[in-house]
Amino acid sequence: MPRMVPLLFSSLVVLSAGLVSAQDTGGSINFATTADPTFNPWSPTAFVESNLINELIFPGLTRWDKNLKPAPDLATSWKASADGLKWTFNLRRNVKWSDGQAFNAADVAFTFNEIVLKKELAANGGSTWRNAVTKVNVVNPYQVDFILSRPWASLPTYLGYFAGILPQHKFAGVTDPWKFTDFNKQNPVGTGPFKVAQVISGASVKLVRNDLYWGGKPKLAAVTFKVIPDSNAQLAQLLSGDLDLISVGNPETVERIKAAPNLTVDLSTANVYYFVALNQDDPRFQDVRVRQALLYAIDRPAMIKSVLKGYGQVATGPIAPVQKGFYTKNVQQYPYDPAKAKALLAAAGYKPGPNGVLQKDGKPLIISMPTAAYQQLTPISLLVQQYWKDIGVQADLKTLDWNSYIQQVIVKRDYQASAAWWSTPADPDVLPYYDSSAANVGNNIPNYKNPKLDALLEQGRKDTGTARKATYVQAQKLMATELPYLYLWYPQSITAYNNRLTGMRGVTLPADFQYAAEWSVK
Amino acid sequence: MVGFLGRRIGQGMVVLLLISLVTFFLINLAPGGPSAAARFESTAEERAAIQKQLGLDRPLLTRYGSWATGVLRGDFGATLSGGQPVAPILRQRLGTTLQLGLAALVLSVVIGIPLGIITAMRRNSVLDHSVNALSTLGMSVPDFWTGIMAILLFAVTLKVLPASGLADMSAGFSLSEWLRHMILPAGVLAFVMLPNLVRFTRASLLEVLGADYLRTARAKGVREGRVIVKHALRNAFVPIVAMIGLILPALLSGSVIIESVFGLPGMGRLAVDAALGRDYNTIMAVTLAAGFIVILTNLVVDLAYTVIDPRIRHD
Repeated sequence: MPRMVPLLFSSLVVLSAGLVSAQDTGGSINFATTADPTFNPWSPTAFVESNLINELIFPGLTRWDKNLKPAPDLATSWKASADGLKWTFNLRRNVKWSDGQAFNAADVAFTFNEIVLKKELAANGGSTWRNAVTKVNVVNPYQVDFILSRPWASLPTYLGYFAGILPQHKFAGVTDPWKFTDFNKQNPVGTGPFKVAQVISGASVKLVRNDLYWGGKPKLAAVTFKVIPDSNAQLAQLLSGDLDLISVGNPETVERIKAAPNLTVDLSTANVYYFVALNQDDPRFQDVRVRQALLYAIDRPAMIKSVLKGYGQVATGPIAPVQKGFYTKNVQQYPYDPAKAKALLAAAGYKPGPNGVLQKDGKPLIISMPTAAYQQLTPISLLVQQYWKDIGVQADLKTLDWNSYIQQVIVKRDYQASAAWWSTPADPDVLPYYDSSAANVGNNIPNYKNPKLDALLEQGRKDTGTARKATYVQAQKLMATELPYLYLWYPQSITAYNNRLTGMRGVTLPADFQYAAEWSVK
Repeated sequence: MVGFLGRRIGQGMVVLLLISLVTFFLINLAPGGPSAAARFESTAEERAAIQKQLGLDRPLLTRYGSWATGVLRGDFGATLSGGQPVAPILRQRLGTTLQLGLAALVLSVVIGIPLGIITAMRRNSVLDHSVNALSTLGMSVPDFWTGIMAILLFAVTLKVLPASGLADMSAGFSLSEWLRHMILPAGVLAFVMLPNLVRFTRASLLEVLGADYLRTARAKGVREGRVIVKHALRNAFVPIVAMIGLILPALLSGSVIIESVFGLPGMGRLAVDAALGRDYNTIMAVTLAAGFIVILTNLVVDLAYTVIDPRIRHD
């Protein structure tokens, strides 16, 4: 028995040492992701499962502030030349990579010249960059010049949008950066607040604090991402306390989460808009009255209520209200009005056919509408089908898996109507999604071609200050009248997290993750 | 016996070859493509570049030839979703699936066979009807629902078991931790598989319970327990083993859902991810592995017959 005393004592010492060390390390939190991530923001195999994790490891030159405007990150300041064709970025000094090497301008030049701008690599989002950026020159170790082929006022915003800088020294001698699996899948090196400590394929990724982070010691000791593809399983784990934060994809679960006293539901609005694209290669949809009629026929507030449980607002164009400096609601509106829809179709030459389907020149107004069994696309398409049926338009739905859907709708453009969404930086430059040059081969999914809109969007890239706002107000008015896409709604992003997690900025998840060094646990 | 084994192994190899041919051409001709090349926001130029990087611009037959040559050399290629070698990933995932499958099988056998025996012996009793009702429930309720309900009950409400994931073995193997993490997924998988075994055991036993040799055994004064275990069960066992042989591959397919719900990094989830992402090399490797397991299971079951029933010979 007497021997128990020192044993107990030493146990207590160990225990209290453990407690002290736990306080000292700042605790850890658990997030969810849906698949094994790729630790390289530019890899074509990095998708939504990798984006947020990469933000913790690979900061960009800029990041977004609370108003989603570009703020300094690895770059401290920047300015454009008078002609807008050269942007000079001053880089932060004394930044170290997580392996101890110094970060400098060569890393920025390498990331863009050797990865992003190389056509044959097809880097993630590379076309957006190649569209305007020719190359990046090193001026001195702490200054780079972005040389542009055409003015691009949005460059600083895009530099904060999943545009992490990679370490040149780690890629020395690597011929194919996408096959550099030791880096991309196991041991990445970044300048972010966290670094990878352990990867268990299919199970978890553990990140620990990067003590070399330029912004000081991050408050949290570790962030673990558990690989949980099933959203119901993610919710169950949030409720059980095994997860600290999830992104809620199904608004129907919000009430259940709100009922849990230890959880907080956070709503934010990103620049995301849902739409129905009408293929402009189909002559029927080249008549603006038909496009307008098909939008008048959809009861969007009712759909927001049923599909989104109210967590969204009717969209008027690609520039969402979150862009306070550019958004305008003074554009043509399309309240639910089936009578007006019918009148517009009648004016366009459509008459009731024998089976209730409108027809023109003996051809019934039947629209093939492929959709995907992905998120809420199928219910959205079903509701649109129903609304169109009410005005005598028949939509034939075909539900595909996501990859097949992309092949049919995006690659082959083999569709007449289809619902999907765009998520873009909070920036009014939407040229890649509307420009005539992007029809059929790029992000202009409806293949809409309008020289007037092309010119406006090109002008917006050159303008600054109030002129820029005026240009984009004009563009919004034109898009609302012309309807290159039938705009449905701006959804709210719903995040649920455990109250023990503090320091979230409540902006959008991608913007919050850029300030992960400020997170802590109670 | 040697001839039998040689014949079966030869047949197995032919089957694997056919599986590889059918799977390769089916998945490559199916609509859609690898996720990297089927990215929503990619341009046509980027998609063409990715196709070239992945070697998908080569003719299908050439691709099958180089894939098959690689496999013969033990190289299953690299994943199209990250460029990692497929073989180590498959080995790791197979380990998890085997743990889950074997745990579920043990649970099914340990619970299912005795329940089948008891319900056969007490036919039409309350117990028989209750087990019958539970079996019907197990067979008809989808496993993802049972999984979520089990998580809600044991992890969220009672907080006695972890909601998902594997035990952290970085500090060494711990049986209790392993059990804590495995009991829910294996239990749910067993709950879905168990009814087959219970009903089959019950039916097989009922068939032999009225046989003359059992009456004779009882007349000789053999105790009832011995009559059932030594005489009845031994004869009923051949179809039961055949059933276990059928359950094993079903456990593999059942693990697809269970692994997703419980966040287990197993082969089932690998297969689903690979199929959705059109990761051709991974799909091929998983399909071959699953085919190999089924062929091996069938062989083992056939061999087990000779042990259970000496009258069966594989000459």
